[in-house]
Amino acid sequence: MTQLLEVEDLRAGYGSVPVLQGVTFSVAEGETAVMFGLNGAGKSTTVNTIAGLLKTWGGKVTFDGEVISGLPASEIVKRGVSLCPEGRRVFPQLSVRTNLELGAWTNRSVQAEQLERVFGYFPRLEERSAQMAGTLSGGEQQMLAIGRALMSKPRLLLIDEASLGLSPKLTQTVFQVVDQINDDGTTVVIVEQNVGVLPYADQALVMQKGTITFDGRGEALAKTGDLRAAYLG
Amino acid sequence: MHELVLAGGTPFSVQLNLLTPLFDGIANGAAYGLLGLGLVLLYKSNGIFNFAQGEFAMIAAIVTYVFDSGTGVLPNLPFFVAALLGVVAGVLVALITERLVIRPMFNRAKVILVVGTVGVALLLIGVEGLLPYPKTEQLPDIGTVLGVRPYVAKVDQIPIADQDVAKIVMLVVLAIAAYVFFRYTRTGTAILAVSQDSTAARVVGISVERISAISWGIAGLLGGVAGILLAVPPQGTLTPGAFTGSTLIVAFAAAVLGGMTSLPGAFVGGMGLGLIEAFANADAAFVPGLRSVANGQAELAVFVVLILVLLVRPRGLLGQES
Ligand SMILES: Nc1ncnc2c1ncn2[C@@H]1O[C@H](COP(=O)(O)OP(=O)(O)O)[C@@H](O)[C@H]1O
Ligand SMILES: [Mg+2]
Repeated sequence: MTQLLEVEDLRAGYGSVPVLQGVTFSVAEGETAVMFGLNGAGKSTTVNTIAGLLKTWGGKVTFDGEVISGLPASEIVKRGVSLCPEGRRVFPQLSVRTNLELGAWTNRSVQAEQLERVFGYFPRLEERSAQMAGTLSGGEQQMLAIGRALMSKPRLLLIDEASLGLSPKLTQTVFQVVDQINDDGTTVVIVEQNVGVLPYADQALVMQKGTITFDGRGEALAKTGDLRAAYLG
Repeated sequence: MHELVLAGGTPFSVQLNLLTPLFDGIANGAAYGLLGLGLVLLYKSNGIFNFAQGEFAMIAAIVTYVFDSGTGVLPNLPFFVAALLGVVAGVLVALITERLVIRPMFNRAKVILVVGTVGVALLLIGVEGLLPYPKTEQLPDIGTVLGVRPYVAKVDQIPIADQDVAKIVMLVVLAIAAYVFFRYTRTGTAILAVSQDSTAARVVGISVERISAISWGIAGLLGGVAGILLAVPPQGTLTPGAFTGSTLIVAFAAAVLGGMTSLPGAFVGGMGLGLIEAFANADAAFVPGLRSVANGQAELAVFVVLILVLLVRPRGLLGQES
């Protein structure tokens, strides 16, 4: 299987403090990879660096055979990598619809088609399309953030902690939609602390103190009870 | 025939007590609104008070003057060409400010950026002081430029100046244009997006740097137009710092009164404060007991109204809840 995303010895941090100490993993086209790890392990730093929000200190990120590390975030989105950031980060005083339209900023030609797709996954967003995003519930904001990330029609979708603060029921709904998105052909990397996502994962990664300490199939991690105990707390 | 005597006071004069302050207030209000518009724009887009806005206006006025009058070695250009160069100069100074002062401090606290703009204002006042042009000159008003009589009409002997009409028309046109820009254009929406969450804006692929440059460029344009319309007789001047020292402070109050993020609010707030000032300054001796009020009543009235409005409506008259 061809690898869509290849991360090699990636290093990044804040100010002069290194966080990523050489992160290496790859994700095959069409799969869902889940990245687990304790708070502060460096998961968000990893996906933010891949998306170009943080500067790459060392190593490289290859997407579809081309090096994307070092490119500006806008260029990375244009090439087909889209991030749904931690903490949702919708535009609170813009309408749901405008939030979604902004998701297609770099690729306007797919806006209409993707809007239909997103409303298909999240009918709730269509009902509320004229509402200000800041007035949505937490779950709806999470749906909007995922929907917005899909608007550029990415080949790789990075989702950072989609389940944070959601009820167990809503969490399952979100995981199911992410699974659907993956079935529809989008490769997904999902950062999670909730092991409930494991059934949807093809690949599982565990990050610890800025490096990957487990990289295997989802089922393998599910069986390894001690790994869960050691790495997921 | 216009005299109405109130008990205990001097006769009420429609001309002195009503029309003069009304026209003066509207004219000054337009000035506050014009400067306030640029302030609102930058507050909307960057979340900062730009203290350099008055000097963006002054630079534009000076550049217009030197080309209009052909100062030194410069060509003597037609007024509207000179004005265009003036506006371009205002935009350039704003862009340079963005690039050299704002962008390097992008991720710092807003208050640091605000102090940065104070620094830019002081620097520009210094630079203007060094420029070789007659500091006490004024720009021609629109009536002179067009070679027509200086007033549109007279109401009860009081002329309504061409220049005041030009200011109000320009203010309305610019306020509507800015509103349409934010409401209906992609770039306008992107500016709002960056101001609400710059990380999210980068996530969707918006270049935050480009958007910042665009919003400062527009602020420079608004400031430039304001400067060219305001540096005219009778009160206008090309003295370095003149706008910052007088108009800008009231323009801030106007923008806050209007709601700081509201473009129509800059208009409403500007007009409101202009009128309050003018009526407070007008000969109020027809009101029993007011004869003794000393100078400073205009500032006092502005202050009282501002505080009252903010107590009742902290977001300003037209500001939105956030
Ligand atoms: N903006 C920041 N500035 C400085 N340090 C940060 C910043 N964000 C995260 N860190 C630090 O980087 C480390 C990794 O954080 P993060 O990538 O957010 O972890 P995770 O997403 O796995 O919880 C933590 O020690 C955290 O304190
Ligand atoms: Mg995180």
